Amino acid sequence: MTDLTAYRSAARAWIEGKIAEFGREARRGLTPAEDLALGRRYLAAKYEAGYSGISWPRENGGQGLSPTEKLAFDREEILHGFPTEYFSISLGMPVPIMLRYLPDGWKQERAIAALRGDEIWCQLFSEPAAGSDLAALRTRAVQDPDNGDWILNGQKLWTSWAHLADYGVIVARSDPNVAKHRGLTYFWVDMKAPGVTVRPVTLAAGDAHVNEVYFDDVRIPDAQRLGPVGGGFGVAMETLIIERYSATDPAANGPSIARALADATRMTRDGRPLIEDGRVRERIARNFATQAALASIHRRALLSLEAGTQPGSEGAIHKLVSVRNRQRLSEFMIDIEGVSGVRWNEQATRKDDWATSWLTAPTGRIAGGADEMLLNTIAERILGLPQDHRPDKGVPFNEIPG
Amino acid sequence: MSVLLDEAQLQIADEAQRLVSAHYSGERLKGYLLERGAFDRELWERFGAQGWTAICYPEAFGGLDLGLLELGLVAEACGGAVTGVAALTSSFAMGQSLLYFGSEEQKADWLPQLAAGSVIGVVAFAEGQDMLPRAPRLRLEAGRLSGSKPAVVAGGIADGAVVLALGADGPVLALVDLSQRGVSRTLLDTFDNSRCTADLVFDDVEAHELPGSIDALAAARAILRLQAVIIGFEQVGGAQKMLTTARDYALTRRAFGQPIGAFQSVKHRIAEDYVLVELARANAIHAASRSGESDFGLYAAAARISATEAYDGVSRDAVQVHGGIGVTWEADLHLHQRRARTLAVEAGPLIFWEDEVITELQGAAQ
Ligand SMILES: Cc1cc2nc3c(=O)[nH]c(=O)nc-3n(C[C@H](O)[C@H](O)[C@H](O)COP(=O)(O)OP(=O)(O)OC[C@H]3O[C@@H](n4cnc5c(N)ncnc54)[C@H](O)[C@@H]3O)c2cc1C
Repeated sequence: MTDLTAYRSAARAWIEGKIAEFGREARRGLTPAEDLALGRRYLAAKYEAGYSGISWPRENGGQGLSPTEKLAFDREEILHGFPTEYFSISLGMPVPIMLRYLPDGWKQERAIAALRGDEIWCQLFSEPAAGSDLAALRTRAVQDPDNGDWILNGQKLWTSWAHLADYGVIVARSDPNVAKHRGLTYFWVDMKAPGVTVRPVTLAAGDAHVNEVYFDDVRIPDAQRLGPVGGGFGVAMETLIIERYSATDPAANGPSIARALADATRMTRDGRPLIEDGRVRERIARNFATQAALASIHRRALLSLEAGTQPGSEGAIHKLVSVRNRQRLSEFMIDIEGVSGVRWNEQATRKDDWATSWLTAPTGRIAGGADEMLLNTIAERILGLPQDHRPDKGVPFNEIPG
Repeated sequence: MSVLLDEAQLQIADEAQRLVSAHYSGERLKGYLLERGAFDRELWERFGAQGWTAICYPEAFGGLDLGLLELGLVAEACGGAVTGVAALTSSFAMGQSLLYFGSEEQKADWLPQLAAGSVIGVVAFAEGQDMLPRAPRLRLEAGRLSGSKPAVVAGGIADGAVVLALGADGPVLALVDLSQRGVSRTLLDTFDNSRCTADLVFDDVEAHELPGSIDALAAARAILRLQAVIIGFEQVGGAQKMLTTARDYALTRRAFGQPIGAFQSVKHRIAEDYVLVELARANAIHAASRSGESDFGLYAAAARISATEAYDGVSRDAVQVHGGIGVTWEADLHLHQRRARTLAVEAGPLIFWEDEVITELQGAAQ
């Protein structure tokens, strides 16, 4: 047995021991506050067991292992619907990036608190006028010449979990007189600071985990800056790729193929199981083939990580393909259910319910890089095709027609 | 488990790419397209000399004792160059039938020659729209074969065949030497004549059951799966070639003051094609690595579906990206278009493999 195999089976055993307390079933019917509390307890248990920050250095509260062990753990954990979503952005990007830039001491305290689920960090990048085109952001950071403090003014949008967050990382415009991506600076902020207002935004399926966040004369010391003045775009890009490759579910966190098969076998039409209908067979078979390929691509990425090479396009392929696949299959499964396909269950999750999966799927095609941006990435970075025509290229930000 | 290619496999792939693409000639291929019954015999002989025909046989029969992946890599190179040699996969299928289900004598008679590439073999299972007919019209009675098999790939040039026929107690797999009297072949006009596809007619011809194929339909299905994975690699090779061709053209062809690859409708189309190729490649490699396992049938079917989607899709798009020049006889794109559809139906169309996936999933769920 290799070390990794041993690690994986120990991890699996630990995870399986937690299903009763923290799994999908345990969460059913909880209020948001109860569910968050359960999530915090799960993170604390995970920390005590030594499964937090698996690939982080020990001095930052991590385990000092490689991404391979982390992926092995995540791959098992992802199966059971544990209440980890509140912390995934926090631990995935903002905390690792501040650990890279801040001096020792305070940052380690924060990292451990975040790993234990006691504190949450959010990522304040997108704005009403800046999503895919992040560098178009307008939130202003003006430096006070007297003491070097920065004053933040503006609005962020789509900030996941900002309503629960203790801290955040933010990119703001420090110089509007230069080209758009040169005039940005990166900071961390205290979400409880005076002048920060968080308002929830309800998403299409009725859930409200994203927010708009207003900054009104929020004063922060220069010590909260990450990276050089004007270097914010680079730090933002570094943040986005910090987690080079993460655990993936070929079903994109929607219901599994096994579930589609079982449902199509249970449901009948003219007394015959729907799975005998060629159209149903075709849809499920093709969806399976795509998911099988994604799983295979994932395993290959793991092997190349183990072999010490960085994975390439796997993440982009996975995101692009899996969510569309989930969206189409969910749509289809609602279809074949017939007139009762319209039923809506408030308690259901996207993993166990076709309607919920379907209604939440579009989010996955937009958040964290829209499909079109992924296609651009593949086309430009992997295939060497030209960049799009960009009329604002090199133009000072304050001269770009708004 | 999926695999990263090792040194030896990378070497086979490189060597195959080099030899096959050096040999590629669109002009020669167009000759084979126009002429029924002709194929690239010179290249076929090189395959033999190179040992590629021997890849999947044990050393005892002159084989190299390598796996599906190694042969797949050669097939991938062949796919990229649309080689006019259907025999690589057809001989493979006949040889594997004998290897798994033949008698010692049948193996000794045929395998060394198949491994050397000195004879060409085929399998003939399908009839009409049935890939694996439960009650074949071709009959085997008292060791004599009567009836016909339609559209047998490489049937026009083959020396031997393993056929699915109806015996006294149900379907059987039988070995038949095609050089006998009473065997006649009618070459078909197809949109890819280099495949030498022919109807085979048997008029009271000597044939011998494969003793290991008690359940002949299961045996034929097992062979079809092996062949499907290798053809899947060939499709991946063709799709990859079309992808590269489309990308290269999109970088050089200009319109409205910029390379057409700067237009997103072109650029994104090509990026989507890249994804199709990567999915198909991943499934082909995974299937090859599952050979001999209980889920091989499932992954072979998945590989086949992705490969067909990729080669059809990418060759269709590549023509579109080329504009007018893409639809000419002169440009070689139609060679891929033809080959994509040919390979798609030869080893079982999508609806066959979709049913296979569902059946296997149902089996696994029980
Ligand atoms: C649920 C959810 C959670 C999120 N969480 C966070 C978070 O925590 N922190 C954060 O900072 N952001 C977050 N986001 C924001 C997310 O990153 C943006 O929504 C995303 O980047 C797209 O930006 P946009 O919404 O402004 O759409 P736009 O950029 O306006 O895009 C609109 C459409 O135009 C297309 N488009 C844009 N540019 C191009 C181009 N060059 N070529 C072709 N098509 C183009 C897009 O693909 C899309 O289809 C979240 C979003 C969602 C939905």
